[in-house]
Amino acid sequence: MDEFQSSEETAFVVDDITTIIKDTVETTIGSSAYQQNRINQWTSSVVETSLNQLSKLGKPFKYIVTCIILQKNGAGLHTASSCFWDNTMDGSCTVRWENKTTYCIVSVFGLAV
Amino acid sequence: MSDLAKEKAARLLKKRGSVSSLGSHDVRAKETRDKTKDSISTVSYIDEPGHHDDNPRPAVQMENTFQLAPYRRFPVLTVNDILKDVLASYLQEEKYEAELCRQMTKTISEVIKARVKDLMVPRYKIIVLISIGQLSDQNMRIGSRCLWDASNDTFSSHTFKNSSLFAVANVYAVYFE
Repeated sequence: MDEFQSSEETAFVVDDITTIIKDTVETTIGSSAYQQNRINQWTSSVVETSLNQLSKLGKPFKYIVTCIILQKNGAGLHTASSCFWDNTMDGSCTVRWENKTTYCIVSVFGLAV
Repeated sequence: MSDLAKEKAARLLKKRGSVSSLGSHDVRAKETRDKTKDSISTVSYIDEPGHHDDNPRPAVQMENTFQLAPYRRFPVLTVNDILKDVLASYLQEEKYEAELCRQMTKTISEVIKARVKDLMVPRYKIIVLISIGQLSDQNMRIGSRCLWDASNDTFSSHTFKNSSLFAVANVYAVYFE
């Protein structure tokens, strides 16, 4: 019984997580234009809502959610991440979202307990 | 799992790239879809190919360690210094160039990971996140939140700026119970 549970529930499922993140970003920012005074609130909201939804999945994981929101200005941005963890149990995924004036990049790292 | 992701990515690219070559009725259908939805999202899940050899290995059964807390805590200040050091040495004189910075982000993240590993803090998993961007008159906000054990897990962060680029480095250390 324990083995059955461990293989099904302790895997990092990328698809579920990307759906959750996409929905979160859509509902928080949606099609609003970039607004300097709201960006603080947007970042916090995206990250906190995603974390809430992720914890509702009930999996034995610690999560790190990072969100980058930037204005579409023609400037370039590069992001890289390097992780020292257990490949069989831990995973990460990144969702890039854009609308006419804003880019939003959300990275989720899940580490098994 | 990553094959599926690669197929999805390939399909997405094909869809976007082939709009111009579709027949006329198909092009019209694409346009109406774009009108109702003016935001696009893409998913990327990139993994180094070498890691897939580990997948067939069965999950390891862990035994109790009877250890309630880490013997040695993660040295945040030392890691702060490492970040300052690495970012300054690699980026002090550089100008922002797309190809150079692409390589630079990957290199810097590997270097930081290696130096933090050298500290040999037992039972800690490390995540290094680097962002290098061009300085133009844009605004940007980077935020992160973590769901973890606040007494054992921690993070370290440093920002570097020169005349044409900026770099943000974050290191997260998570205790493996």
